[in-house]
Amino acid sequence: MPKKISSDFNGFSSLSFIHNKVKGLMFEKVIFDFSACTWFEANLSAVLGAICDSLAMGLNSMEFININSRIEDILCKNEFLKYFGGEVKGDIYQTTIKYRRYQSSEQSLFKDYLDKELLSKEDMPKMSELLQKKINESIFEIFENAITHGDSKSVFSCGQYYPQKNPPRIDFTIVDLGRTIKSNVMEFLNRDMPAAEAIKWAVTERNTTKSGNTPGGLGLKIIRKFLEVNRGEIQIISADGFWQQDKNNSIFARKINTTFAGTIVNLEFNIDDRYSYITKEEVENLRNKDIF
Amino acid sequence: MEKINIKIFQVVGSEVAVSSEKGNEIFEQIDKALENKIMVDVDFINIKILTTAFLNSAIGQLYSKYSSKELIKALRLVNISDSDLVLIKRVTDRAKEYFADKEKVDAIIKEVIEDE
Repeated sequence: MPKKISSDFNGFSSLSFIHNKVKGLMFEKVIFDFSACTWFEANLSAVLGAICDSLAMGLNSMEFININSRIEDILCKNEFLKYFGGEVKGDIYQTTIKYRRYQSSEQSLFKDYLDKELLSKEDMPKMSELLQKKINESIFEIFENAITHGDSKSVFSCGQYYPQKNPPRIDFTIVDLGRTIKSNVMEFLNRDMPAAEAIKWAVTERNTTKSGNTPGGLGLKIIRKFLEVNRGEIQIISADGFWQQDKNNSIFARKINTTFAGTIVNLEFNIDDRYSYITKEEVENLRNKDIF
Repeated sequence: MEKINIKIFQVVGSEVAVSSEKGNEIFEQIDKALENKIMVDVDFINIKILTTAFLNSAIGQLYSKYSSKELIKALRLVNISDSDLVLIKRVTDRAKEYFADKEKVDAIIKEVIEDE
């Protein structure tokens, strides 16, 4: 494992490299050596979990060695290591949002998990009901995208609350190992294109790979708009593409060196946000106007 | 004209209406009612989380069969929060746009096939 793994281009590139290295192994013993690693952002446990799950499918065994005590502590608190026989530690400061794997049919369980883990931590700043709703909806849009577009059976998630950041923020990562955005977009447009371009296409208003009688092309755009106002961030990694909208609403898209056989979406929310999101005038206009 | 009330919670079985699959069940119920000239109150009582994936299936899909005019006459949204109303407006705007584009694309495809 590299020295520093954060929710940024380098961090996701490293995880993608690791995934690529172990992909397709069968009946092996895979050792994740953390001796050089001094920083691992806990929400990225979702990516590591997805990698390990694909290894488990190949009946490989996994071991995590030389983890520094600070990282081990957090991976115990967020219950990542529990999946690999590690101990579970209580989380006094309640900064972790547990690592979990859900099946595509388990939306209700996923909702309970979000309620418990994400929205009812006592130590978090009090969020407005609307902000909580927007955060929940954004996460569910991504969860649904993983199932519909990724055609994925399992969805991996993990989060982390960063109270020391100013303003305080929550990072929440969702991973699936289904069809990549690149393959969906290329199939739909019937032409070759780099993965970062394909993600850019998919996050653009009106674009959708859906056809038939159900419209699409809205979910990711609504999330982008929300994060723009919230001054949050989103990173999407799929195949060998990386795309990011940062807190200043700047876009950064680039090719990564190795292909991640699935999709990672990391959402960063500013939770000390007093913005009201809908104006009285907006609602009045709607009430007075036909919605259809 | 008769009128029925379709409670989303009852169909979805949860306060979370997020999957396109469940949205499709709502669509089928509304569609059945509209085909039989029955007006529908779509009831959002106790629904806390909605996604566009659900709404595209449940509401957006209606534009494949019905015009805005027909839907204004026959459909009403009840017990809906302000923020959900804003979301649904985006879904219905998008659906109108989507089907207008689709008609154009279908016409072009038809033209190409006929030319061959």
